[in-house]
Amino acid sequence: MSPLLQEILETSSIYKPTMMLVLDVRQVTQLEKLFTIEMPNGLSLGHKPGQFVEVSVLGIGEAPISISSSPSRSNGKFELCVRRAGSVTSALHSLNPGDSVGIRGPFGRGFPIDRFRGKDILFAPGGLGLAPLRSLINEVLDDRGNFGRVTILYGARNPSELLFTDELVEWETRTDVELHVTVDHPDNDWTGNVGVITTLFPKIRVHARNTIAITCGPPAMYRFVLVELLGKGLLEGNIWLSLERRMKCGVGKCGHCQMNHIYTCQDGPAFSYAEIKHVEEAL
Amino acid sequence: MSLKILPKRGLSDWVSRLITEYRVVGPKLMKDQYIFGDIHSADDLALDYSTTILPPKKILLPQRETLIQFDTASSSQPIEPFIETQATIILGVHTCDMHAISLLDQIFLEGFPDQHYLARRKNITLVSIECLRSCSEHSFCKSMGTLSVPETFDLHLTDLGNSYALETGSKKGSALLWSMSAVRDPTNGDYRQLQKVMSEKWQSFNYRLVFDITELPSLLALSYDNTLWDEIGDRCLGCGACTIVCPTCYCFNVIDEVDFSLHRGARSRVWDSCQLDRFATVAGGHNFRVNRSDRQRHRFFRKGKYQMEAYGLVGCVGCGRCAQSCLVHISPVEVFNELYRRQSPITSLEQEVTT
Amino acid sequence: MTSLSKPKIAFFDFAGCEGCQLTVIDALQTDIDLLNVVEIVQFREAMSEKGDDYTIAFIEGSYTRFSDKERLIAIRDQAEIVIALGACAHLSGINAIRNLQSTAEVRRYVYGDHAEHFDVSLAKPISAVIHVDAFIPGCPIDRQEFVRAVKALLQGNLPDIPDYPVCVECKLKENSCLFWYGKTCQGPITRAGCGALCPSLGTGCVGCRGLIPSPNISSFKQLMSEHGTSEAGIEAKLKLFMTHEILKSEASGDGN
Repeated sequence: MSPLLQEILETSSIYKPTMMLVLDVRQVTQLEKLFTIEMPNGLSLGHKPGQFVEVSVLGIGEAPISISSSPSRSNGKFELCVRRAGSVTSALHSLNPGDSVGIRGPFGRGFPIDRFRGKDILFAPGGLGLAPLRSLINEVLDDRGNFGRVTILYGARNPSELLFTDELVEWETRTDVELHVTVDHPDNDWTGNVGVITTLFPKIRVHARNTIAITCGPPAMYRFVLVELLGKGLLEGNIWLSLERRMKCGVGKCGHCQMNHIYTCQDGPAFSYAEIKHVEEAL
Repeated sequence: MSLKILPKRGLSDWVSRLITEYRVVGPKLMKDQYIFGDIHSADDLALDYSTTILPPKKILLPQRETLIQFDTASSSQPIEPFIETQATIILGVHTCDMHAISLLDQIFLEGFPDQHYLARRKNITLVSIECLRSCSEHSFCKSMGTLSVPETFDLHLTDLGNSYALETGSKKGSALLWSMSAVRDPTNGDYRQLQKVMSEKWQSFNYRLVFDITELPSLLALSYDNTLWDEIGDRCLGCGACTIVCPTCYCFNVIDEVDFSLHRGARSRVWDSCQLDRFATVAGGHNFRVNRSDRQRHRFFRKGKYQMEAYGLVGCVGCGRCAQSCLVHISPVEVFNELYRRQSPITSLEQEVTT
Repeated sequence: MTSLSKPKIAFFDFAGCEGCQLTVIDALQTDIDLLNVVEIVQFREAMSEKGDDYTIAFIEGSYTRFSDKERLIAIRDQAEIVIALGACAHLSGINAIRNLQSTAEVRRYVYGDHAEHFDVSLAKPISAVIHVDAFIPGCPIDRQEFVRAVKALLQGNLPDIPDYPVCVECKLKENSCLFWYGKTCQGPITRAGCGALCPSLGTGCVGCRGLIPSPNISSFKQLMSEHGTSEAGIEAKLKLFMTHEILKSEASGDGN
């Protein structure tokens, strides 16, 4: 168990956030900001890629946010990529370095990275879906020798909505990463691929039996990406998704994130397709 | 477990004594309906009640409960958890509600133990009462297997006519009887009367499910795409009453409130309902159960299947409160029976073909 | 999170009874701190000073005259945030009942020989004329909801108004359902937030806070009819406060 969670269980409330310092705030796109949060007293978050934290702005509320930084680069800090959508995320966007923010977590089940070692890894994030997958991507790249081919297919609505553009450039230039980016609506400067994310699949070669695919994006995207992945012959147990739900409490009590009998905040948000294909409300 | 006898004329003294040391909550009449409310004297207490509008979960999981208090202007301790409990006795809990409390206990204990619920629960003494007759036209506890008290009781009462039989289930329960002179040991006659009452009670209840409860999860598994859900969705008003009155519904929302300083305030949980529009909506606006039929199906699956799979305990205890409060006559017995009826003809048809 | 300066707020009235403004005055007396956190620069009902440098405008009353448009637009141009205050501004409330008849006839009936001198349009919620950022429903508004709304505005948010029905609050209060006693109530389709005030006092909800976002109107009508309300009676009840919403949903084809 993570040291922070241990502390939560030992103090008197699972609902009590720990105040942490906002070290840095960076505007990523018009809608998204990247927050670097510093853990107090040398604590480490001890998270796994795919997990999330509950972020509080006291007086406004709390929202589940996936962790964008990889454990390999944590060092007493972690990053959250936050889209401004509701009141909590709007309040977060008004914070500056030096302000405090409440954190609970990390919660949920992340990706089982140990089972991915030795395999080819295919990432297929769409839009804001890159935020949680970036944690896993960097974890894999920081342990590059232990994985086979690494391919990243990334789709966004338009060029201005592309996240982590410096990292996209870095991945692009690496010889041990194959990156393809597409946008639905290009602007005048866009020279890359145009179309939804599934238009990238014909560009890649996949050794189906030895490939793990990880996808995350808006609910409507999954069905189309799954068709491509299954069509390429990937095993259902080797296709991983990160599902979005309204995880109000993060600790399996409040009921908001329930899909059929599964509490997404406890059993997920990372699931293999094999685990959820019979869960009617999952996709 | 020991058996004691409290003559009914001793009840008033007993309640008076309990009130001096505990907050005592029990069934009482409000207008012409019963509710669980604070008992100030034995006269308030209606142990012979039918059913209450809200179940006793309102004591275990208050409608609005402060979780943390904060003052962001304070640099030392900006957040304090808020846990407040008061030694409380809940008197006269029916066996269905006792089963529901067992489910709540398990949910709030499992995984991340919920310190707020558990602190309150630890300070609550449950005095259950044997149900000797059906409490409402909508109840179907006998079908759900909740007509016998689960072992979570601290003290259990059975009405023997002129007296109550008292079974103690815990030290908390026996503490309630400490130095009560009116409480005596049972006579052979008391044992006979208890046996008589217990054996006779079952015929006052009807099995109302037309199939065995153990078949319910698999029946529901076959019924996900049944058109009945659309029919129910057409009727459902989406008012949420069914979940509010349900003893096993515990979903909550969390809200922050501040005073005019804007930096001092509290975060509370409030009851929520999966039947309300926004319940399954995520930040981007996508709603995972957009229709009333989706939401009603979720509710019935939760009661009849999901809770069983997750906790091994039935999610519906057959209290009948939801049917009582539903203005458009959506009743779990009728829904489950109708699903069974719609599945059955196929089965009997197949049998006809093979024989 | 503390705002540096007090926001300047103003209150305006159009066609209405001013009961919502009176509720605001009540709130200023019970929650005196309100006056420490906002600066009221215009409030005809309560004060004679008149400033036009407001950032938040609360508008009470319906649009009922063509000439109202100009004034509404001027308020919108000045204010950063416009809030519809109460049923008349939010839903056009009872003013909209007149829309069920021809405007010309209504005008003649009310003003007789002088009808031509009076400017009369269809009664509309103010959102039909200008963009409205949020609303505080009710006839009149709920005082505590108004106070919460002001806090939310101070925090930089829009007020969070319940979108679930009155039945929720009524059940939480353990009221006996009025339908059990041969009465009727619009609680199942009406937006909560009032604490189920009327049903708690034994009177059926009349729907002053407007419809919930996706009301099941056909099932509700069936319910009313089962409880002995005639078709005309149901229409009359629904159209007391909800005329505008009902006509709109009928026009878009999802009403019945």
